Amino acid sequence: MLKFTLLGSALALLLQVPLAPAMAEFKPTRPIEIVVHGGPGSGNDLFARSIIAIVEQEKLAPVRMQVANKPGGGSTTASAYLASKKGDPHTIGVFTNIWLTDPLLQEEANNPLTSMTPIARMLVEPALLVVKADSPYKSLQDLINAAKEKPGQIKQSGGSITARENIIRQLIAGATGARWSFISFPSGGERLAALLGGHVDLMILEPGEANEQIRSGKLRVLAQVAETRLETFKDAPTLREAGVSIPNVPQTRGIVAPPAVSEDSAKYYEDLMARVVKTEAWKKYLETNFFDGSFANSKDTREFLVSYQDDIRGYLKESGAKVVR
Amino acid sequence: MDTFSGLLHGFSVAFQPANLFWCFVGCFLGTIVGILPGLGPAATIAMLLPLTFQMDPSGGIIMLCGIYYGAKYGGSTTSILLNMPGEASSVVSCLDGYQMARKGRAGAALGIAAIASFIAGTVGVVALTVVAPPIAAFALSFSSPEYFALMCLGLSLVVLLTGPSLVKGLLSLLIGLWLASIGTDLFTAQSRFTFGRSELLGGIEFMIVAIGVFALSEVLASIENREQTRLLPVPRGLRNLLPSWEELKACRFAFLNGSVVGFIVGVLPGAGSAIASFISYGVEKAVSRHPEKFGTGVPEGLAAPEGANNADTGGALVPLLTLGIPGGGTTAILLSALVFWGIKPGPLMITESPDIFWGLVASMYIGNVVLLILNLPLVPLFAQILRIPVYVLFPLIFGIAIVGAYSTSGQIFDVALLAIFGLLGYLMVKFGFPTAPLILGFVLGDPMERALRQSLMMSQGDFLPMLSRPLAAGMLCLAVLILLVPFLGQINRWRVRAITETV
Repeated sequence: MLKFTLLGSALALLLQVPLAPAMAEFKPTRPIEIVVHGGPGSGNDLFARSIIAIVEQEKLAPVRMQVANKPGGGSTTASAYLASKKGDPHTIGVFTNIWLTDPLLQEEANNPLTSMTPIARMLVEPALLVVKADSPYKSLQDLINAAKEKPGQIKQSGGSITARENIIRQLIAGATGARWSFISFPSGGERLAALLGGHVDLMILEPGEANEQIRSGKLRVLAQVAETRLETFKDAPTLREAGVSIPNVPQTRGIVAPPAVSEDSAKYYEDLMARVVKTEAWKKYLETNFFDGSFANSKDTREFLVSYQDDIRGYLKESGAKVVR
Repeated sequence: MDTFSGLLHGFSVAFQPANLFWCFVGCFLGTIVGILPGLGPAATIAMLLPLTFQMDPSGGIIMLCGIYYGAKYGGSTTSILLNMPGEASSVVSCLDGYQMARKGRAGAALGIAAIASFIAGTVGVVALTVVAPPIAAFALSFSSPEYFALMCLGLSLVVLLTGPSLVKGLLSLLIGLWLASIGTDLFTAQSRFTFGRSELLGGIEFMIVAIGVFALSEVLASIENREQTRLLPVPRGLRNLLPSWEELKACRFAFLNGSVVGFIVGVLPGAGSAIASFISYGVEKAVSRHPEKFGTGVPEGLAAPEGANNADTGGALVPLLTLGIPGGGTTAILLSALVFWGIKPGPLMITESPDIFWGLVASMYIGNVVLLILNLPLVPLFAQILRIPVYVLFPLIFGIAIVGAYSTSGQIFDVALLAIFGLLGYLMVKFGFPTAPLILGFVLGDPMERALRQSLMMSQGDFLPMLSRPLAAGMLCLAVLILLVPFLGQINRWRVRAITETV
């Protein structure tokens, strides 16, 4: 069988016969490249490598998949690279929220996520609002009351002002009137060190980053940024349960293809991802990282991205950031 | 389990044949990765990560860590031979290492680098074994004002890195600080000095600046001087390939200084080994009896930074293993590797996974010995590289530099940047501007600006906390003192002149 296929492709190449129209369904014929905006070892890199490991273990694809790291300028280098692969059915990319925010804030970032071909939303990351274990704030209400008493005195460590943790801070301020300051640190390690050292008062971070500190009694969870409580932290209320009703700001990860790829190939990757999320290995991946596997297909992902981009634009404007698009 | 029995247990894990093998493999790969500019330990570990998932966790982490500290050993090789740092951490080793090679002491320089790496690397591991928990608490007490003061202290070293003209040194530093500010500002998400190029949004890669300003400018300057057929003299005979007793004796204090400074700076999340090596170089020069000879190829000027970047490894593992906090890119990947294996680095790791913790620590003692044994015999071999005639060597250096620049990002734009920095470095050398301050400014610019803005945001615009916090105030005072050093020399000269004139 394989021999015939090989022979067929060779003949086709020799005769310069276009293969695509003859094929009813797209099948990759050379290695698939997954573009990620982080360097090797970053969260997205590991996300892509986990998908690859599952695809290879379960033999879900006839070809190999490899990661192409395109770090630089947040997501801009990666999205520019993906856009340059217009119509290429052998390249896909990993997107996160930053792919939505960068084009909104930066003139140079001119490949918005909505110009790509959405394939699937793979997961949503919940977050925890934590304080140090010896902090005087025992509940979210304590913190809000204290922040109202002395506006700007309480400090939160986080990443860029465009990151979700800052948007949530803005939304809480809008809903309750509690204002505290937001201090940017470039790496997760430095943010956590500032909290554990007592130099800042709170942090909003992924459960995976905080779990060890919580387990060893160094941090306390005041609230969860999630629709429902996570099993591991079932004693901590969600923001809504703690009396703070703000719109959901999901941190998402998913797959996009370059602009203008054929419907066949988009469908192929959509099906491939749908099969990935059904595997045991994927469930284990979600579990160890405390991710929420809310898979969405191509059509739903497109709708989600378009409306979410508008939401985020609104949040960023409210937070005082200069929105260019 | 107390420290001693823990370590004993660790050795029983590390001495298992399979783990010894992985330790060797890691060290070997690390050495190669260190030698090749552009290919760093972080990228290598990430690429090998999926392969290690089939392995036993202790063997896997022992190997991956071997790559991490092995790369620090290898990084100095090209610094010494070609003035081209193999890793960001070995940029300071260029200053005196390359000058030693130019004086025909390439073999000695490589030997000193290996010995300094071994001593400081081992001291770093001993410190990791003995004082990990208390030193981790110290690292957490460092807040933004302390970081700002530390970076100021680092910047004040500019007066020790400049040649005869302080003004030229300061100008070079300012260029470095400006280059560091290019890219997206973390605090406001606005782009600065990007000239509309999306390639600049992420800032300029350190290795591109370092290779351009150091290695390419050196090659360009050598091409201009046509008479040379060979880059550097390589004397024959074994004696010239190994460090002499006098050279090793001169390094006594440097070994200690590099070990201590490297470990302490390494413990601080977000400081980094390039900063550690700059500071230990500054300390070495400040206490030296002949500071004027630094930069002309003194062995202690190589031993201090080379030691510091190796002791840094032991330090960087302290917050990673005891707090679960990665201080830099490579430790962040090691953290993900540990999490993948189901090990949870953090306050509970020593009690919950003693095999991994103590096995890793013990393997680092072994690994440092392996690296010494691996590297010393390579010294004569590497020194032969300099025998290659320039018409082969120069194109080779250009080739390595271009591949290195391209592989850091995969963008051809970065190769163009490399050419620009090569030219800039050449012009600076030609007009007598020292290039080391530019690198210093580039390394420290970003963390200093960040720490300053964080401090001011924390205190709501008040400068006082920087002076009321004892550690921060102490370091700022020290920085001011160092800045005054050249003026003290000036005053002294006036005094001497005044005395001689009256006599």
